[in-house]
Amino acid sequence: MPGGKAGDDVGMTSDIALLTEDLTKFYGQRRGIEGLSLEIRAGEVVGFLGPNGAGKTTTIRLLLDFLRPTRGHATVLGLDPRRDKAALHRQIGYLPGELVFPGRDKAEDLLRFFAAARGGVAWSQVAELAERLDLDLSRPVRTMSKGNKQKVGLVQAFMHRPAVLVLDEPTSGLDPLMQQEFLAMVRDARVAGQTVFMSSHVLAEVQQVADRVAIVRAGRLAAVERVESLGKRAVRAVEIHFDDPVDPAEFSVLPGVRDVVVSGPVLKCTVDGRIDPLIKAAARHEVMDMLSAEPDLEETFLSFYYHAEGAGDASRAGA
Amino acid sequence: MLPALVRKTWRDDRLALIGWTGGVAAFTAIYTSFYSQFQGAAELKQDALPQGMLDFLGIADMLSPAGYLQATIFSLVGPLLVLMCAITLAARTIARPEEDGGMELMLANPVSRAAFAWQRVVAAGSALTGIAAIPWILLMIIVPWIGMDIALSNVAAASAGLVALVWCFAGIAFLVGAATGKRAAVLAITGGLAVATYMANAIGGMVDGWHWVRWLSPFHYFIGTDPLHTGWHPAELLALVLLGAAATIAGVIVFDRRDIGV
Repeated sequence: MPGGKAGDDVGMTSDIALLTEDLTKFYGQRRGIEGLSLEIRAGEVVGFLGPNGAGKTTTIRLLLDFLRPTRGHATVLGLDPRRDKAALHRQIGYLPGELVFPGRDKAEDLLRFFAAARGGVAWSQVAELAERLDLDLSRPVRTMSKGNKQKVGLVQAFMHRPAVLVLDEPTSGLDPLMQQEFLAMVRDARVAGQTVFMSSHVLAEVQQVADRVAIVRAGRLAAVERVESLGKRAVRAVEIHFDDPVDPAEFSVLPGVRDVVVSGPVLKCTVDGRIDPLIKAAARHEVMDMLSAEPDLEETFLSFYYHAEGAGDASRAGA
Repeated sequence: MLPALVRKTWRDDRLALIGWTGGVAAFTAIYTSFYSQFQGAAELKQDALPQGMLDFLGIADMLSPAGYLQATIFSLVGPLLVLMCAITLAARTIARPEEDGGMELMLANPVSRAAFAWQRVVAAGSALTGIAAIPWILLMIIVPWIGMDIALSNVAAASAGLVALVWCFAGIAFLVGAATGKRAAVLAITGGLAVATYMANAIGGMVDGWHWVRWLSPFHYFIGTDPLHTGWHPAELLALVLLGAAATIAGVIVFDRRDIGV
């Protein structure tokens, strides 16, 4: 984007961990993902954002070779997901979005199976992760709560220290404390040079750890941005308290100003981009108070998503 | 050492395997052991059923040892039992875990699709073979023990046929599961096929002009050769094994080519 950070490549290796070109998947007539072209460098942490049904899981399942593309292709670590599946999966840690474990094993036995199936993972690595996530391995996985199942899923994804972590909704079911612990695990993975590709519809968590975010909507890639540049172009929520009632029409015509709601002397709106026109317009009145919320990815994202869809959806974004 | 997935498959199926082993063993042992006590009542039973019904059930006579074994173990309930076992275990290789979602994490391990399918086949197939061979093993012990007057080689031939029949239908069940990923499809299609081909064999043996349909039925290759009287028929057994093998190979190929868990 214009004004984005020049020299994104500085300090990065040229190794491409994950590459998709025109990756497309239709289920009959129904679109999963269409024309996705994405490039993720080794060692990057990339958040994959979008509302439910946008095509995140379809993309991830294409990368893992559960699905075969209708068109286009993907490579992971330079390897073909289908042809090189066995070699590739040794280097991928995968957390499914719909987490179901095979069998009725205790967590320990299940993880020993994964350890053996991946060519022998040192048990100390498993124990370390389990301790970090405060997970009791002696219980059957089937009887566990959703949160504890999710921890088992995370342990199996991280246990063999894979070069690439592909995580579908990784924090789903985790309590806030464990979400933070998970984010710390992602930071550690980044330090260790692992590449992380994680889908989410909760943006706060991605904002904390990701280098870049890829945003999909309705099966198409809407944007790929560095997290910090998303912050710059962010939409902010602004609330201005005037001395006297004001006319909403005066503000709704301003560039970048949307969702104008006036109740008596209080104006609420969102501002996309420069805030200056709004300030100048407000200055014509007696301003008692002004609040501008910290721009966060959630609003940026919603604005991106809904405003592009048209006015009908904008009302839903007003919350 | 065996692949982790093979061991895991056995472990996950262990309750079912123990249940089927116990069931098939009890069925074989109890029926065969009743041979001596049964002899008095056999004539009554044989007279009680019309000849057409006896033919349909594949019961030639219940008085000779061969006729008794045919009527009890090999004609209806025995094959029914081991085929139910074969079909449900084959449904567990791919269809069931695909439907409940548990297959995804197994497939995320470093194995190719085909290797995954083969390891599931080997695990389920070996367990199934063991269960289908239980009548064989027990009959080799019980028949001499209770002094049934029949050549053990003929009993072995019929028992081997039961194993071959299981391989045939297990292969078909695996193919359906590998192609559709639906447990209900495995049970309905393979079960329906078993019933239809059983009927084809029975009716083909009774109705003039319809003898040819027997050649379409796996049951004909299993028991239509009357192994309890005539001994080994390797070509027929081989036909069953080859059909099962062909279905299994087709299943692996189809599974390797399709989307998973859609």
